[in-house]
Amino acid sequence: MHLRPRTSASTGKEPDPATGAHLSISDLRVEFADHAPAGGTPPVDGLDLTVRSGRIVALVGESGSGKSLTAHAVTGLLPAGAHITAGRITLDDEDLAGCSAGRMNHIRGNQVAMLFQQPKASLDPTATVRSQVVEPLWLRHGLSRRQARARAEELLHDVGIADPDRVADSYAHQLSGGMAQRVMIASALAGDPGLLIADEPTTALDVTVQAQILALLRRKQRERGLSVLLITHDLGIVASLADRVAVMYAGHIVEESTTQELFTDPQHPYTRALLRASLLRSEDGRLFAIEGSTAQSRGLDHGCRFRPRCPVAEELGISHACEDTEPTLHTCGADHSSRCWASPSPDRMVSA
Amino acid sequence: MVRFALRRLLVLVVALFTVSVVTFLVPYASGGDPVRTILRSRVAGQALDPSAVEALRHDLGLDQPLILQYLDWLGRALHGDFGLSFTSRTPVDQLLGSALGVSFTLTAVALGAAFVAALPLGTLAALRPGKRADTAVTFLTQSFVAVPEYWLAPILVLVFSQHLGWLPSAGWRTPQYLVLPALTLALRPLAYFTQVTRAAMVDVLKAPYITAARARGLSQPQTLLRHALRNGLLPVMTLFSLWFAGLLGGSVVVEVIFAVPGMGQLVYRAVVNHDIPIIQAGILSIVALAVLVTTVTDVLYALINPAVRLHDGSV
Repeated sequence: MHLRPRTSASTGKEPDPATGAHLSISDLRVEFADHAPAGGTPPVDGLDLTVRSGRIVALVGESGSGKSLTAHAVTGLLPAGAHITAGRITLDDEDLAGCSAGRMNHIRGNQVAMLFQQPKASLDPTATVRSQVVEPLWLRHGLSRRQARARAEELLHDVGIADPDRVADSYAHQLSGGMAQRVMIASALAGDPGLLIADEPTTALDVTVQAQILALLRRKQRERGLSVLLITHDLGIVASLADRVAVMYAGHIVEESTTQELFTDPQHPYTRALLRASLLRSEDGRLFAIEGSTAQSRGLDHGCRFRPRCPVAEELGISHACEDTEPTLHTCGADHSSRCWASPSPDRMVSA
Repeated sequence: MVRFALRRLLVLVVALFTVSVVTFLVPYASGGDPVRTILRSRVAGQALDPSAVEALRHDLGLDQPLILQYLDWLGRALHGDFGLSFTSRTPVDQLLGSALGVSFTLTAVALGAAFVAALPLGTLAALRPGKRADTAVTFLTQSFVAVPEYWLAPILVLVFSQHLGWLPSAGWRTPQYLVLPALTLALRPLAYFTQVTRAAMVDVLKAPYITAARARGLSQPQTLLRHALRNGLLPVMTLFSLWFAGLLGGSVVVEVIFAVPGMGQLVYRAVVNHDIPIIQAGILSIVALAVLVTTVTDVLYALINPAVRLHDGSV
């Protein structure tokens, strides 16, 4: 991957004091050790991503694209059998990929916190809400019992829970999904982390509650100047919340830009298909679908990973290039990069 | 929570009443005439005098209608009076009291030890399923299941009493006498508790709340102690109460080998001798104690896992 065009995300560079990289992932690869047949593509392969301080970056893609694995790789909580086999994850100028387990325990909760898709299942059914909100507090500050109890109620109040003392003494089964996610946000913020990773935080909630939780996330992000990595497949959420968007396909980023730019001028054929599938309906009212499945992109060891499903390659008569060489993630406009032979490039133009 | 406990208590009373009817009737259904058995043991080999048979039958109250016998028995049983043993003519409640105490102690120690050992063993196996520790634990527990008590007990006596001289081989006087019979009894429940702990922990460790706890900054040991273990031990508690009921009166083999004067021996001998008052009182008290242990377990279970307290809105 030498001679890669500099991406706008400028991976691995020194953090710029004004808009410094808070989290920067470069060339990340995650593999499953147990069943890795020769030639199988790793679920995350060559991923580059940057979250600048105080920004919300959305990582979008369909199921199986490797979004959640990427999130869990950052927090060091990959499922059993999955390992980081290459790349760097830099958080606050520290490489997490090579961190000791003890150091990661300290970083989790204090520097990076996480929200999950199933808020109710993310709370221990045998423990009170209070005890779980308090945990990051006693780990970090060594507060007394009474101080921690009071602080827990304060945190619950701050996430919009009207009766924090009652909720603090409740158990997961007594809470609604939205309430449980508020509790999870309170416990995530208890350790005062700078980066919040939200893995499909509203997918399991109904629509009105979704909007409330998203508004709460936005408010907390502004109040605390949080950097947020938002993982979602819902482009509506992206549009309402994110500053930047990175589109993930088959283990790496295929397009990255500001939210505005990506929605108005999508460059990669996959991004365009994704936008069409989620935002538009055809004339007879049916939803657009993306032909094929991600399974078709597994096991490709050369060329573009989206090629088997790409409508553009054939049309533009560039399928030769697409089959031979994998395009790099290159600048294709101001603050915009794409991984497609058909996207405009400053140093090469596609003959089409 | 109080309502939950009260409801469980009501269930307990109903269960005990049902059991009292059944235990009262069972000895009569088992055939054999207790009066003749008793007399035959006294006159060894000679012919029985029919008038003596009837006189004894009257003395024992066995000529009354069954329903009257039951009500009479129940009324006295409620005051702790289970009558006299047919064979030894000693009060049944005295025989029962000491045997029940012995069996309860033995069962509690054996199962308590099994429980305490099973939690770390099962957890160790569950941490890395299919890896070396898991294989070792599974192999160990499977061999525990396969070992019969009548084989293990003599081996233990041979090693710890004969060769090493550390522990007494039989009897029931000091706590040392408890060790070998408890060890013999504990091995199989230990195996089952371990397997159930392992299975439960494998599931629990995959649960989202475990990942969430790690994400809050808890180390793996902290997560195990604060979240995983409490959830993982719930199914083991249920198994514990089932084994408790089973071992209270069901450890005859171990009691005989180690000369432990427990319920198993007492009831077994009573059955052989058609000693109806002991059989009735014995079974009733075993069942009562078993139901009581189950109830206590249920209440503990609900204390640990509040989602169990169904129909109970208040916490």
